[in-house]
Amino acid sequence: MTSISSRRLAKELAEIHSEGCPVGIELVKADDFTCWWFTIEVMGESLYQGEKFTLQFRFDSGYPISSPAVQFVVTDGKQAPIHPHVYSNGHICASILGNEWSPVLSVVAVCVTLQSMLASCKEKQRPVDNDRYIRHAPDNPKKTQFHYDDDTV
Amino acid sequence: MGNSSSSSSRPHNDETVDFGYLTPQGVYTGPRDWNHAIVTQLICSRRLAPFYRPLEDYDDSWTDDQILAARRNPPEVEQSDSTRAEASQALPASASSKSHTKRPSTLKDPAKPEAAIYRGAVECPICFLYYPPNINHSRCCDQAICTECFVQIKRSEPTTTHLVSEPAACPYCVQENFGIVYTPPPWRAGIGSEGSNSHWLDSHKGSSSIETSVPSAPTHKRRQKSFGADSPEVVTTDHIRPDWEAKLAAVRAAVTRRANRRIIMRQVGDRLIPVGVTSGRVHALTGEEGGSEGAENGGSSRRSRRRQQAPNGPFEQYLGQDLEELMVMEAMRLSLLEHEEQQRKEAEEKKKKEKEAAAKSDSSAESGAGPSTDSSNVEASSSSSTPQNRSFLNIRRASKSRSPSPAARPTGNDHQADAPPFSTLNAALSTSSTASAILNSSISGVGENTSVPGAPESVSQPAAAAGAEAAESQSQPRESQEASPETSASRPEAVHTDTSVSVLSTDSTVVASDLTYDHLPSSEENSAQEPLIPKKPNNATTSEDGGEPPNHVGNHTTA
Repeated sequence: MTSISSRRLAKELAEIHSEGCPVGIELVKADDFTCWWFTIEVMGESLYQGEKFTLQFRFDSGYPISSPAVQFVVTDGKQAPIHPHVYSNGHICASILGNEWSPVLSVVAVCVTLQSMLASCKEKQRPVDNDRYIRHAPDNPKKTQFHYDDDTV
Repeated sequence: MGNSSSSSSRPHNDETVDFGYLTPQGVYTGPRDWNHAIVTQLICSRRLAPFYRPLEDYDDSWTDDQILAARRNPPEVEQSDSTRAEASQALPASASSKSHTKRPSTLKDPAKPEAAIYRGAVECPICFLYYPPNINHSRCCDQAICTECFVQIKRSEPTTTHLVSEPAACPYCVQENFGIVYTPPPWRAGIGSEGSNSHWLDSHKGSSSIETSVPSAPTHKRRQKSFGADSPEVVTTDHIRPDWEAKLAAVRAAVTRRANRRIIMRQVGDRLIPVGVTSGRVHALTGEEGGSEGAENGGSSRRSRRRQQAPNGPFEQYLGQDLEELMVMEAMRLSLLEHEEQQRKEAEEKKKKEKEAAAKSDSSAESGAGPSTDSSNVEASSSSSTPQNRSFLNIRRASKSRSPSPAARPTGNDHQADAPPFSTLNAALSTSSTASAILNSSISGVGENTSVPGAPESVSQPAAAAGAEAAESQSQPRESQEASPETSASRPEAVHTDTSVSVLSTDSTVVASDLTYDHLPSSEENSAQEPLIPKKPNNATTSEDGGEPPNHVGNHTTA
């Protein structure tokens, strides 16, 4: 008996295969139901024109009730976007990945949200506490308790 | 009537409601931490859709056999006995016939009502499985949600760093207090169907086309209004987990307990040496503290107290001696050693100098008076290892509470006197590097509540910053602990009251202490409730306690 997470991911994957990803988002790998990679790039006018980032999703068996662990890949020469909510280790401070996660959201929905987070960026800069954070950051961004204090971006 | 014999031969009549089940069908594998009796009752009273075996997929053109083939296999695993027992206890007496709950013969049943109920199946947007159209709908935005998914949604568990428990939000529209409304089908089957005129099989008996007659019946009309969370027809996530409050209280109690650990400081000359950590356990309380919190926290604290008292075995006090605590103790021990060593060296040097000075100039009178303070320091430090030394300082240890509710610091109450003379502590901290390191790392939030010997009222107060809970309690009227049944286990502990009060006793070290305090700004205005180290804003705290996830200031993106 397969778990709810692989069952749902299987359906999400089938949908991605049959309908494709939204513009600017591509599936890189989804070999199993524990770790998927996507590339995202911001289309049109933005500070990130021409840049392509790799997003990693890690799922535990509680998905979709529990949120996926989402971060930018910063290995293999890949870089996290310079953004006020993205730490240089790839961790992302976004409420939908934390306390505002909803099981109704899907992998593609998260990609689209992060894509629009980049698209609306006004100034390329790291979070103010970047250095402090990455020194002690846990491997899994879900173990970080982010403090969401900016509703505007 | 006619079918009563056939329906009683059907095992699904035992524990099914409208062909659905009282227990989950294995969609989720995690812990079933909701209240099973309540869920069972809600299903039986048709306020919550039963657990239907979901279809992996669904198509309107399917035949009954295709539908039944698409059903998920029922969970082979024995549902935990307790679950079952609990469930059947809550049932009306009808559900007593015995336990072969598998449904062997449904496929041979010509009528196949169990297939017919799936006509017009609805996909649950969370688990992506298909359920009969009589599915739950969110009270707020009228979105479908199956019972399997509904019982998974709950408040986020409070943690020691997140001391609140917000009601679960609707996964669809994020409205607080998620709840569902269930509209049962117009027919009934299984539990509660006996004697009912609208029994499904009765009402469809003789109907030539059962399959086609069903789908039209239970189509869900989108409703216009949303239900309030307290509407009688609404089932909220809190209804099926009524223990959330107790859980929250338990975590709060644990945090308060930890916050109440204090570093015991010893006054040695003009320095403070940390000598230990109190356990933070709740022992007998002074009347003052006993009354204050109980009155404030009413029910929840009563619960937590009971729970905590229960396991009060002989070992309980050691359970709290975690690694962190031991490490602090060790650091303090080293610091003390280092300090004593230094004191001895200084004293020796002084003596040497005095001798030299005495030898050079013959004015022996001066040399006698000169180093008096220093020698008393030595005296103090040497006697500091004896238990009689009473000049302790209690410094409340770091509160780990990052409760977003501002820990209203008590002001203007009669505890003002016990605030620390600021400069002493600073001086003390700067002299003992280890101690200050410890304090910096662990006290950063909460330096107040430092009781200084010499302030006779320096009974340790309820944790000002150990969470709003404790803080609020400060203003509560006194009651003796015994007289107050509501006394909470999470109440801060009155530790070392005696030691701090008795500073002015005629101990040999008092000389040193007195000398020290003579020049301290001991006036009340001065000492007020200044934190030892300015309190950082909640969101800026770094990982004060190694074991817990770092807390981060950051920004976020709303979806």
